[in-house]
Amino acid sequence: MKTVAVYFLLILVAALVLLPLLWAVSASFTPLEKVFEHVYPFSWRALVPQDFTWEAYTNVFQGRSHTAQSVAPQPGLGRPVVSTFILAIGTVVVGGLICALAGFAFAQFDFRGKNLLFSLVLLSFMMPVEVTIIPLFVLVKQLGWVNSWQGIWVPGLVHGMVIFVFRQFFSEIPRDLIDAARVDGAGWFRTLRSIVLPLSLPVLISAGLILFLYQWDAFLWPMVISPSQEFRLVQVAISLSIEEHQTLWNELLAGSMFAAILPILLILPFQRYYVRGITGSGLKE
Amino acid sequence: MARAIAEAKPFGRREGWIPFLFLLPAFSLLALFRLIPVLASFREALYGNVFSAAGPEHVFVGLRNFEALLQDPVFWKSVKVTMLFSLVINPLQATLALGLGILANQPVRGIRFFRSIYLLPVAVSLNIVCLIWRLMLDANFGLVNGLLAAFDLPSQPFLGAESHALWSIIAVATWKGVPYWTIFFLAGLQGIPKSILEAAAIDGANSVQMFLHVTLPMLRRVILFVLVADTIINFVLFIPPFVLTGGGPQLSTNLLMLETYRKGFLFGDTGGAGAISVLLLGIMVIIVGIEFALVRPREA
Repeated sequence: MKTVAVYFLLILVAALVLLPLLWAVSASFTPLEKVFEHVYPFSWRALVPQDFTWEAYTNVFQGRSHTAQSVAPQPGLGRPVVSTFILAIGTVVVGGLICALAGFAFAQFDFRGKNLLFSLVLLSFMMPVEVTIIPLFVLVKQLGWVNSWQGIWVPGLVHGMVIFVFRQFFSEIPRDLIDAARVDGAGWFRTLRSIVLPLSLPVLISAGLILFLYQWDAFLWPMVISPSQEFRLVQVAISLSIEEHQTLWNELLAGSMFAAILPILLILPFQRYYVRGITGSGLKE
Repeated sequence: MARAIAEAKPFGRREGWIPFLFLLPAFSLLALFRLIPVLASFREALYGNVFSAAGPEHVFVGLRNFEALLQDPVFWKSVKVTMLFSLVINPLQATLALGLGILANQPVRGIRFFRSIYLLPVAVSLNIVCLIWRLMLDANFGLVNGLLAAFDLPSQPFLGAESHALWSIIAVATWKGVPYWTIFFLAGLQGIPKSILEAAAIDGANSVQMFLHVTLPMLRRVILFVLVADTIINFVLFIPPFVLTGGGPQLSTNLLMLETYRKGFLFGDTGGAGAISVLLLGIMVIIVGIEFALVRPREA
């Protein structure tokens, strides 16, 4: 009896979660004339593509130079997707390295001011970036980085949360292990490469996921600091296309699914690492 | 304990300036892009753009930005909307996430499959979530109204009426937010030692008693953490009102962060926006202080 109730609730919540996503997928594969057909009033057919077509995806990816269906010319999503992907990989590699070094220092060294500096790290990820977006904008503008890639990218390289995740992980590497390598005469670079790095795959996946998702999902900051067309990232491009093609629901949803599929494919297989990353930062000592 | 021993050893790692070398890249960036903007927000709030014959000028205006703010009905409306929003959404999300965490912790077959499904809203960006829901909540062709119609219920102006819009935004943000906080509750629930639950069961506790006297007290820290962290995030929530309603109708969904954006970037009033930022910062310092007390390192 209890099991039946549990399954009932599990399925109910799953339906709530899946309904918007299934509809979005299905509508993105449906030709425009049919998108509204089974939505109002609702029938289950709305959740299955009618007359399956890739049309919306090709339109969204390539953009439109001529005015078909009296819609304004629309730049394709291809370029924003590629730009965002490259930036995100860059954030994972460079940001990951910077945060890993700091995390290692907090985990493995004793030094003056350690607690104070670590408190700053904690405060930096508790205090949302949005609060200081106005002065940050003024500052980055003074650097001459408005409408530039570095303006979008550099301020998001360091994340207190990721430093924290690295510190947690590196604290569990026995200090004796590292001391042994040092006594054998290995420099810090070699110790990190040959002792620490091979142990670190789990934390690299956790940190990599957090950093990748951060850059892939970035919205407000790229929109205000680099508004010009050539620096448009995927989330901004999709959001701005709402006004431009209000009624082309299949294309709006195709763009959305296009932007959503990559994070889904990253998080689902690696969910253990993702979960460990975000919960470790909030709950454990 | 292990650490104390390591420190007591003569070989304890005190490498002079080496650790600072490791910290240098991270702390230069933190100082430049996180710390300086916090300090600069106070300065920014005291400056304003004045338009003269020579074009716009950035000049010192003292407290005039704050005075203007206090007399600005749009700002006060935004404060009221943000307060109502916060009072509703934070307890709502925390409660639902606790419930979903308990559900996802049930030892039934296929539970991993359901957990994966529940993770989907976490993976999809807030921006995309809001776009999908904007179409779903459309007054004329939206799927939600389609569902109502299938049950012969009248259509609702979910995003288009003052009476509905804020509640619609709360619902959408909750759809996206609850699964994220559930992750924390699930981790907390899985951290409760089985022996404690078994001991309570042997003592004859029923499931309600177990929940009230074992589970809840064991989750105290997680609950506090989620409430505080959620409050912080929702206080500066920007994307849902931006994508779903643009702050309307009649500013009924104009949350403070959106108002900051509108002032600063649409109307070019960086001083006014800076003044709001300072106020937000003040409130944040209080809430973050609470969170910090919860998670601060204990080894000091």
